[in-house]
Amino acid sequence: MDLENQARVKELAEKYGAENVVVVIGGAEAEASGLTAETVTAGDPTYAGPLAGVQLGLSVWHIVEDEIKAEIDPAVYEDQVSMMEMVLDVDAIKEEVSTIREQYSKY
Amino acid sequence: MTRKIRVVHYLNQFFGQIGGEDKAGMQPMDKAGHVGPGMAFAAALKDQAEIVGTVICGDTYFGENMETATKEVLDLIAKYEPDLVIAGPAFNAGRYGTACGAVCSAVADKLQIPVVTGMYPENPGVDMFRKRIHIVETSDSAAGMRQAVPKMAKLALKLANGEPTDSAVDGYLTRGIRKNYFAKERGSARAVEMLVRKLGGEEFVTEYPMPQFDRVDPNPAIRDMAKARIALVTSGGIVPKGNPDHIESSSASKYGKYDIEGIDVLTAASHETAHGGYDPVYANGNPNRVLPVDVMRDLEREGAIGELHRYYYATVGNGTSVANAKKYAAAIAKELVEAEVQGVILTST
Repeated sequence: MDLENQARVKELAEKYGAENVVVVIGGAEAEASGLTAETVTAGDPTYAGPLAGVQLGLSVWHIVEDEIKAEIDPAVYEDQVSMMEMVLDVDAIKEEVSTIREQYSKY
Repeated sequence: MTRKIRVVHYLNQFFGQIGGEDKAGMQPMDKAGHVGPGMAFAAALKDQAEIVGTVICGDTYFGENMETATKEVLDLIAKYEPDLVIAGPAFNAGRYGTACGAVCSAVADKLQIPVVTGMYPENPGVDMFRKRIHIVETSDSAAGMRQAVPKMAKLALKLANGEPTDSAVDGYLTRGIRKNYFAKERGSARAVEMLVRKLGGEEFVTEYPMPQFDRVDPNPAIRDMAKARIALVTSGGIVPKGNPDHIESSSASKYGKYDIEGIDVLTAASHETAHGGYDPVYANGNPNRVLPVDVMRDLEREGAIGELHRYYYATVGNGTSVANAKKYAAAIAKELVEAEVQGVILTST
């Protein structure tokens, strides 16, 4: 996760309270999505950005996870996400992101 | 209580939290205490050691000003009077790896204290510095930070405490140093036992790993040599007399491109070898022995080849790192292709 985005997430969590922020990831690949999820929960695993050592424990999901999908108007989802859903390794992404969430999310 | 080991940490602009590629030109600076990954090291070093300072330098600045940058970084490091220096890890980042290697190598030489860095085995910094310093093997991206830090910290503490280390146990890349020891069985018995295991399809551990060489597939044959433009390229160090580009006699940092238009034969007066890895008497006496301009001109006259390319390229292969050799080869090949050269004769020593 790049330094600017880490700074933005940190700022939003401080402004609204970590319990009021949900992060939805759109990463196309399981490992990268997992790293993003880890960054906003347990802190930047590369120790390069503003979230190094900062354990926000945010609620983090991937757009292809069923819980998020259920919250979205099916027509909009169909229009915006379904194409990518077909080509991504959805199971691997779900597995990776949910594992991190269960381990580190506090909310 | 004994005094804590004083550690200085070297980072690039990215891990030093200054910024990305746009900040890669920054000159060296230092900060007290730990920065970025230093936080993870501080936790791993526990109460045995303390990161007293961090030196940060942009990758591009370091790469483009290697000599001055090394000195500047070294001065900043020395200021903290460290007992130990940790650099990186650089994973598979080439410029960062080279910088970490150069910094560690200079610290080991000048300050005479233990150094540890971490890299992916294919990082060009590995080939350049593995013999001189301890490089812990890491994954290829920063996602491997969590695994890399404890390994590096553990090895660093061992080195700082003067404890013996072992590449297999401590996870650093072998340095090519052989240690004598008394074995129970003599060499022939061990070799036969290994061979029997190998033939039986069982696992065995070699006592002397061979270096791994690239396998390069040959290009298709040249159809008509009588029309082909052929170039000479050598790692045998043949240069115009006086070595105008100052190509080093070993670990060459560059290659040269020299015009041989109108030269029918190289002579002891016109050319010589810059190579320091073989007896130069015969090459200096008759440089065609290494760079066969004389026979190429014969072939040209006979019509066996179309023509000899106007320029030849030369470097010194003696101790030159594979990474550098690859870099020179890529640059030379590009020019040769642009010059419509169809074939190259490579000569070594």
